[in-house]
Amino acid sequence: MAGSPTPIDPRGPRFNQAVLTVGLLCGFVFDWKAVVPVFAVVLLLGAAFGPRYGPFLRLYADLVKPRLSPPTELEDPRPPRFAATVGVVFLGAASVAFAAGASAVGWGLALVVAVLAGLAATTGICIGCEMWLLVARRRGLISGA
Amino acid sequence: MIPLRLLVVIVLAFVVLLVARLFRGWRGRVRTETPAVPLVPLSIRGAAERTWVIFTTPLCASCGPIEARLRATDPHANVVRIDAIEQPRLSHAFKVRSAPTVLLADGEGRVTARLVGAEAFERYVRNPA
Repeated sequence: MAGSPTPIDPRGPRFNQAVLTVGLLCGFVFDWKAVVPVFAVVLLLGAAFGPRYGPFLRLYADLVKPRLSPPTELEDPRPPRFAATVGVVFLGAASVAFAAGASAVGWGLALVVAVLAGLAATTGICIGCEMWLLVARRRGLISGA
Repeated sequence: MIPLRLLVVIVLAFVVLLVARLFRGWRGRVRTETPAVPLVPLSIRGAAERTWVIFTTPLCASCGPIEARLRATDPHANVVRIDAIEQPRLSHAFKVRSAPTVLLADGEGRVTARLVGAEAFERYVRNPA
């Protein structure tokens, strides 16, 4: 596994997913469309530049993590970053749909992200991460795979 | 409008919580062998009467301590550590989805216990079912 990125505390992405879920669902209930592009940018920052630049990942690292016990397991940061990238694509498409006046499509796409993020936050079942693993195994990104 | 949307959110939250509950129950359970579980190959278990198979990943922090603990507490058993990423066929065959996944196999290769996660392992070691 030489050349692998520094492993991260898996609770960081889960915190991010929980905030994303709550934010998107509140946005949906109160019809705050602005929440969608805002979260797209939030996810984009973390996915493109790493956890240090994701606002909620940073919030977790600075405020929440110091109050918790050390993690029992660490994880590869690439699957959650890929999952965040998928989220950016969906939320980006939702933002475009809102701009085009297709609110139902926009909220549909945003709710897909909210449900998947909620599932990941509560169970650890991260569909985007599973997609990364499939792609990585096929492309040989994981040694020995 | 808001009550309808709230209803949608409640339904979605219910679905997510239901899946979460099912998943937690499935993950923490110690599973005995079913016909769908293959035998642990002879090449892995050798001639030992009892074999612990630990599926790990390179980033699994609790796998090393689990292996050390098994070697200390069950010295007569064969303890084998398998990198789930380097052995995708084996991990697929035994439906390994996260590390650590620990299997206990008897002398014939039958899986008699399946422990997913460090917590399930701890529970089993403290109180083998």
